[in-house]
Amino acid sequence: MSFTSGRIRVWDLPTRIFHWALALLVIFSFTTGKVGGGWMQWHLKSGYAILALLVFRVAWGFAGSHSARFAAFLRGPRAAIGYARGILGGGHPFTTGHNPLGGWMVMFMLAILILQASTGLFADDEIATQGPLAAGVSNAFVERMTMIHKYNEWAIVAAVALHVTAVAAYQWGLKVDLLGPMVRGWKTAPPGLAQVEPARASSLLAVVIAAAAAALVYWLVVVYPRP
Amino acid sequence: MKRVAIVAIILAATAFTVRAQQQVKPENQIKYRKAAYTLMNLNYSSLAAMAEDKKPFDKDEAARNAEFVALLSTVPKNYFGEGTDKDTKAKPEIWTHRADFDAKMDKMVGEAAKMPAVVRSGDMAAFKKEVGDLGAACKACHDDFRAK
Repeated sequence: MSFTSGRIRVWDLPTRIFHWALALLVIFSFTTGKVGGGWMQWHLKSGYAILALLVFRVAWGFAGSHSARFAAFLRGPRAAIGYARGILGGGHPFTTGHNPLGGWMVMFMLAILILQASTGLFADDEIATQGPLAAGVSNAFVERMTMIHKYNEWAIVAAVALHVTAVAAYQWGLKVDLLGPMVRGWKTAPPGLAQVEPARASSLLAVVIAAAAAALVYWLVVVYPRP
Repeated sequence: MKRVAIVAIILAATAFTVRAQQQVKPENQIKYRKAAYTLMNLNYSSLAAMAEDKKPFDKDEAARNAEFVALLSTVPKNYFGEGTDKDTKAKPEIWTHRADFDAKMDKMVGEAAKMPAVVRSGDMAAFKKEVGDLGAACKACHDDFRAK
């Protein structure tokens, strides 16, 4: 642990790769799902990749660097409301990692994306595309999962819109640079404000967890459904 | 003579009414269109699996699937009559936006009609494209006129 008053590492590389890969794949999944036809096979593959990313992120929430851990950014409702009041009052405390409000948004987005990826495994569009686990369960269950998959799509669209709007408001309204740190990994502390350098997990550990997540999803969508 | 004429007119009118009522009843219209869609799903899924290399391309099987899809595609449009909006995933918008529905239905039937010739040509690129185009045509209608 070291003390610094200049650059502070906020996001480790695995978290940043996760974030941007997820952003791109969610856009790709939405688009291919809308276009349909021959793109549906890519919609499924994109969903598998997203599922692996989500499994990774949940594990990283326990084993990752300080700012990526759930225990570090999950705060009670009082902290979240207090933070929101502060923002609305015009001030914004210097934070590294997720702020108390953003932490809840992270959990919400993880939850609806996990719901989307897992209902997709059982979904059937009754044209020619079936999730890899649809064949093994009753049609009543498949229909319910398909319905959730279709409605939850709009929850994701709304959450993404809120996320992008909030980031834009910080970035250009409050002049707090959020995009830079999510690309570079570090941000600059205000002069005179010493910050504790947060604990960092090794990137090798991230590679191991990511490989395990990919293997788990591969087993789930390819090996397990084999007749 | 006049009385005979009146009776004849009444009989003719009754016969006409009975005949009109003998058109397929709504329950059965729904049954027939669902049956056609179900078998289209079966045959089109086989074509899609071949197009996506999930199973090997077999020209005879594909041709049979394509013929089925082309024929079956012409069935449902006859069975979206009055009163067929109960116990179905068909949305009420079908009857309020009929022109749009019919256009999308015709588009699907048109794509399905091309399928047998495309399969027989053995041109895999054209086959894959047509499978995609037909799937997109199915989806266009599902998105707007089929409940989730």
